[in-house]
Amino acid sequence: MKALVMAGGRGSNMAPFSATRPNPMIPVAGQYVIDHIITLLKGAGINDINIVVGHRKEKMRAHLSESTPQGVSVHFVDQGKPEGIGKAILKARDRFSPGENILLVYADTMTTNNIFSVAMQSFGLSNEPTAAICLTESGEKYGNVYLDSGTKITKIIEKPGKKEGLGNYVLAGVFVLPFRFFEFLDKAGADMEKALKSVIKNTNLHAAIWDGDWLDMAYPWDILTANKSIMDTWSSAEVHQSVTISGSALKGPVRISEGVEIMPGAVMEGPAYIGPGSFIGHNVLIRPYTCIGANSVIGHGSELKNCVIFPGARVGRSCFIGDSVIGEGVSLGAGVMTINHRIDQSPVRVKVNKTAMETGLAKLGAFIGDGAVVGALNSIAAGTVIEAARSIDHNCSVR
Amino acid sequence: MCGIAGVVALGNISEKLVSSIRSLEYRGYDSCGIAVINGSGKPSVRKNIGSVEEVSEKENFLDLHGNVGIAHTRWATHGGVTKLNSHPHSSCDGLFTVVHNGIISNYISLREKLEKKGHVFVSATDTESIAHLIEENYSKLKSVEKAFTATLKALDGTYAVALLTAHEPDRIYCARKESPLILGLGVEENYIGSDFNAFIENTKSAVILDDNEYAIVTHDGYVVKRISSGEMVVKQVLEIMWDSEMAQKGGFPHYMLKEIHEQPQVVRTAMNIEEDRLMKFAEAIADKPRLYLTGVGTTFYVAQFAQYYFSAYAGVTASLASSDEFKFMANVDDDVFVLAASQSGETYDTLSALRHAKAGGAVTGAIVNVMGSSMARTVDHLILQGSGPEICVISTKAALSQMVIMARLALRLGLLNGKLTAKDVKAREKELDAVPKGIEKILNEKSGFIHTIAKEQSHIPHWLYLGRGRYYPIARESALKMKEVAYVHAEGMPSGFLKHGTIALIDDNLNCVVFMPPEEDAELYKLTLSSAEEIRARNGYVLGVMSESKSPSKHLPFSETIILPKAPPFTAPFFEMVAAQLFSYFTATTLKRNVDRPRSLAKSVTVA
Repeated sequence: MKALVMAGGRGSNMAPFSATRPNPMIPVAGQYVIDHIITLLKGAGINDINIVVGHRKEKMRAHLSESTPQGVSVHFVDQGKPEGIGKAILKARDRFSPGENILLVYADTMTTNNIFSVAMQSFGLSNEPTAAICLTESGEKYGNVYLDSGTKITKIIEKPGKKEGLGNYVLAGVFVLPFRFFEFLDKAGADMEKALKSVIKNTNLHAAIWDGDWLDMAYPWDILTANKSIMDTWSSAEVHQSVTISGSALKGPVRISEGVEIMPGAVMEGPAYIGPGSFIGHNVLIRPYTCIGANSVIGHGSELKNCVIFPGARVGRSCFIGDSVIGEGVSLGAGVMTINHRIDQSPVRVKVNKTAMETGLAKLGAFIGDGAVVGALNSIAAGTVIEAARSIDHNCSVR
Repeated sequence: MCGIAGVVALGNISEKLVSSIRSLEYRGYDSCGIAVINGSGKPSVRKNIGSVEEVSEKENFLDLHGNVGIAHTRWATHGGVTKLNSHPHSSCDGLFTVVHNGIISNYISLREKLEKKGHVFVSATDTESIAHLIEENYSKLKSVEKAFTATLKALDGTYAVALLTAHEPDRIYCARKESPLILGLGVEENYIGSDFNAFIENTKSAVILDDNEYAIVTHDGYVVKRISSGEMVVKQVLEIMWDSEMAQKGGFPHYMLKEIHEQPQVVRTAMNIEEDRLMKFAEAIADKPRLYLTGVGTTFYVAQFAQYYFSAYAGVTASLASSDEFKFMANVDDDVFVLAASQSGETYDTLSALRHAKAGGAVTGAIVNVMGSSMARTVDHLILQGSGPEICVISTKAALSQMVIMARLALRLGLLNGKLTAKDVKAREKELDAVPKGIEKILNEKSGFIHTIAKEQSHIPHWLYLGRGRYYPIARESALKMKEVAYVHAEGMPSGFLKHGTIALIDDNLNCVVFMPPEEDAELYKLTLSSAEEIRARNGYVLGVMSESKSPSKHLPFSETIILPKAPPFTAPFFEMVAAQLFSYFTATTLKRNVDRPRSLAKSVTVA
């Protein structure tokens, strides 16, 4: 079976990171989301992967052209101007032939275990169109699914609205569909929901019930949740033989990649990840769920916890980075503090596209876009978003 | 549900055939049989009641030699569990032998027609008419294929059927309509089966037959055609990548969830139990001045549930005894009726309670899921619940079905006692008819919410499950579910009991579940609510389980509320039990428990 991976969306709720990259190019637990997906696809026996790209496509192309796993062939389909997921799927029709079945994947969701194998196995049982479904806390955001007394889907309610105590199975963004689906989609005016409804009406749509972790990468704080979920599956430390390390303490599953240099006095508590070529200064404290991207520099005496730092970032000396996401190539001056809770301990709010969103999280720090520069001695209030490439002077607190 | 299998090869196939049906045993396991052709001649048939292991030994399956064979493992629906009713079934001349999974709905009229033509039937099954009809058609059409398809066209109902015939001893004919059937493609040998488990040890290449298709399978090939037109169908060959366990669970992550989702169907089956059988059973109970209800584990709570319903709807006061304690507390003589429930019908404690009662002169009755089980054979009066095989060690659908049947018995007892009118019974039965739809609604609209709460509260080590009246047995059964599947300490008790001691335990490490009756059950509602308030007053966490109300109070004392479809007092407990099943299931999956095979537990406890 061939896969069709939908990775062209703008994902604008993921600001500030969506301004400079497509969502699947967000790194989580040391790997881009797209790499996690490709690894799982390969594990499910799929080696012909078609990726529909659009928003910031050059980023995805550049990355995959230099690092595609062995035995997998990747083909890009350009979705052109953004006109919704249905149109984007139709653009890839030429990549498949009649009679073929297609594993359709939305690349803005992640799972720790292999949801693709489960979907394909379920498909194998019925040999009929299959949709992976799962349970999630906020069912109102997704297409709600009704089942008969087995695994046949009887109806899909697209936007169920918020009703207290309601919680259905939802579409998990993984489908096995016949080539004929393109026809359904055409007839439905490229409306994905309508097309799925006609699958239910004309053939059958079977559910593959997914009971593992399911992470929707919609908002910037979802990066931290996904990072933690994956790191929670790690059980052992891995230190590359090329790592320079002395006089440091290591506890739990810490993964240190090729060429990392760690100065004396650093303490690292796993699960944590340090990407290739990074430098960890003297007396740095790395606490659980820290993920440091390739070629980053962490200055003397800084403390990091539950954070994702994209490649090429520079964290100055004596910084505190907690419950935060730091974009690619960001530079933080000495003594930058991310404040990660409100003074009254109430849940932190984050401004997403000009709307303040409730995150429900008591601890949450900052989201700093790619290429931003934050001067020394800045303290950044909980839930602050700093746009990509913005420059902030020394010594002014940021809200 | 039954399982069928078949093998065509160059060498001897009996071992492979036996292993095929052993792998299908999960589909049903009350009897089995095989038919084999060795080069030429009539198919040799061996069959009997029992598990594949037992029957294979007793009937020496492996002594049969041949290169073509079909086999069957049965879960009886039509006709009792007897050797004669076991599959395969043969025509009068013994030249045609069939195995079948499904239900032929017009078998009575087919049988009458065939009997008029002189066919002699030996079993009470719907399947036997297929064999005779093929023989009949062959005598006219002189072609096995034509006789086979003519027969299929005459059948109403559902089938996956396989045919072995002395006329063409190198092949298997098979067909499907609404019952599963799959071909397995090996090297110089081919297979058929109800699912992949039949041949997954031998090959991973498969062809799935669709409805209204038939296939002819030989050792070196196969052909698939449409039943209606005889037109060839080109089929896709699939490579199976999944494990057999996954196939058996039908796409669900666990048997427990699959069986929870089967409950609407199971209740429908319980509602289809014939009036006559229920009434006779109720009469037998009413015939004796004293009644004991018994069971152990979940079925003890089923018995307790019956105690409340028998009292409320029939004015019948029954004594309740856990079957392991039965001997030590019950006084049995010929004035006594003992009513038990058991999924497997093999539960040692309940069997010995019934035997003890019988020895003392009592009349016995049981609600049992497995036909032909020891209990089914022991008791004087039997109701088969027909819930289908329950594989998960933890009982869900079987227990719910038993409770529905108990409620139906209560209505008949009430009628006999003059406590209910025929109109009352009809009205309550109508309420029961609405239960399957209500359960579907819970599964489809509440799973996510219940999952979320279970996840949030999965760190809590102690739970109290509270209910009054008929919700008391529901509370105890639900607490047992939590213990056995999630390994979380849970205690079920009457909510009125709480303030007499247990309330001292309320703290951050102990949560409560309160099962609320519908508002129209005003007294019970008020009393239950006050227990919840007692807990809230001590800052305890209360999860309320209640049915939907038109004007819900804004001041309910619950930390979280699971709101279920509106239900009358007669049926509301069923919905609340389903919600609690989901709650313990999701707690168990969050805690990564071995859901289908919890530690230290066995499906049927057949030891003292």
